[in-house]
Amino acid sequence: MHPIETEKLTKLYGKTKALRELDFTLDEGEIMVLLGPNGSGKTTLLLILSTVLKPTSGKASVMGFDVVNQSTKVRQVLGISFQDARGFWRHKPIEILQFHATICGVPRDKRETLIEEILKDLELWDARGKLFMHLSGGQAKRLEVAKILVQRPKLAIFDEPSSQVDLRGKRIIWDHIRKLREDGSTILVATNEVREAEYLADRITILDKGVKVACNTLQSLKDSIAGGDIVELEFEAKDSKDVAEALGNLEGTFRVTKEEENHLRAYVSMAEEWVPKMTNICYQKGVKVVSVRVTEPSLDDVFLHFTGRALGATAT
Amino acid sequence: MTEIRRILQLARTDFSYFFRTKWLMAVLLSLNLSDMLVIGLVYKGLMTVNYFAFFAPAVVVMGLFMGSMDTGRRIWLAFREGVIQYYLSLPISNLGVVAAYLIAGSLAAMVYSSSLLIVALLVLPAQAVLNTLILLPFFFILAIGLAGIAAALAALASTHGEFFFAYQQLLQVLLLTLSTVYYPQSVMQQYLPSALVTVASANPLSIAAEALRDFVFTGIPIQPFVVVQLIVSSVPFALLGAFAYYKALQKLQIKGKL
Repeated sequence: MHPIETEKLTKLYGKTKALRELDFTLDEGEIMVLLGPNGSGKTTLLLILSTVLKPTSGKASVMGFDVVNQSTKVRQVLGISFQDARGFWRHKPIEILQFHATICGVPRDKRETLIEEILKDLELWDARGKLFMHLSGGQAKRLEVAKILVQRPKLAIFDEPSSQVDLRGKRIIWDHIRKLREDGSTILVATNEVREAEYLADRITILDKGVKVACNTLQSLKDSIAGGDIVELEFEAKDSKDVAEALGNLEGTFRVTKEEENHLRAYVSMAEEWVPKMTNICYQKGVKVVSVRVTEPSLDDVFLHFTGRALGATAT
Repeated sequence: MTEIRRILQLARTDFSYFFRTKWLMAVLLSLNLSDMLVIGLVYKGLMTVNYFAFFAPAVVVMGLFMGSMDTGRRIWLAFREGVIQYYLSLPISNLGVVAAYLIAGSLAAMVYSSSLLIVALLVLPAQAVLNTLILLPFFFILAIGLAGIAAALAALASTHGEFFFAYQQLLQVLLLTLSTVYYPQSVMQQYLPSALVTVASANPLSIAAEALRDFVFTGIPIQPFVVVQLIVSSVPFALLGAFAYYKALQKLQIKGKL
């Protein structure tokens, strides 16, 4: 049994298809990052899984419970940190967390300690007595994340957990999410922030226009781009024509360009396998390599490769 | 934690929210107290009958009505601020959310109107304190009914808060005009068709106001028939409101908005 399993999951808003027959699974104990631009269906998927929305067709289950027919059971095993912080304007952060912890069944003897610890870690302790409506955007967002850190559900869902949060705060949130996984939770994070995805993901699912276009580890996704790795080579000798030809014929080479007389740029797949082969060829041809620099494709490049659009663009 | 404890937890949170809107409390209290103390006492001096004895129960019932109606405002706020989506992700059923709002709304209304009742009792001592205590649970049922109507109006108004307040005003005019809250049935019979007088008699607000007048301030022994009338006229409102609010939650889950 997968903690999350969807089968041909579809969601329509009027005539707009937010999700299109999505098949998706999540393994126990992993951090899965859903990556996609605004409008790609990430939030819709999270809201269906957390029973806030109902699917138009298809199936979805959480920890074996059907999200439509067993919604109350589903709600008992998961917690969701919403994209926009949710709270009544006249409640205080500490009251919001106390309410959340109580209703989610956090044991009474641990509740206060845990809340204090999380509020302090997320730098909300001084704001614990402020009204929700007086919190800054970043504070409200951290409070939203704090709910789940206090709850410690079997399945934790975070929708853009660090948006509106400063760089220092982002790192704190990410470390807490990792710690939550170490403590036994399975985690699903939706984001359109590349750094967040790179920092957190065990695996990444790329969503575009409600369709899953790729799902794998970050490294495998990068490796799957033909010619995605760039290897810059500098030789001692100026004439490197023979070498360029030989490298061009090597398995895994996408193309080789000559930047200067003694400078080649090779576009390859899986540079870690290509570089030793390159070294052998240079040795055989008696060409001395002065420097080698490998650049992997970024997650932006991965997204561009799979969707044909930059991550920052809105899905249309 | 059982479903019932979760419902009570949610109800407690919503109940506390009623008393956090201080400006609303100030407006409601000043309106009701000025009605009761100023108008009631002035009329007492102008009229030969003791209008205050007639008017004080009306204000208590009005307080119950306004307190219950605030449930609708809080439901509308919860929709607007996205809190409803948050509640739908918590380990409580949709019916539990509905029940929690109705309980919280009626409790808030009870506390609010009871405070008005205490003020009234200071001026006009109760003839039968026991009767007052016996009536309270039945007033709670009426408050659930009124909170149900408020929930239905909030669901109808969707995200347009101003619509909710317009609906509430309309309902207030209808329910209070066609009732014996502010004037006796004998006056109504002089000016209104008999059908409307019948409607006014069956109006739960009329029944509640008359019960207060007869059983609390006059001290007549409670007649079970009146209490049954109060329940029978309140329960349909509660059921209708619960159904409307439940349907609104379902609509939110299907459409993503109201």
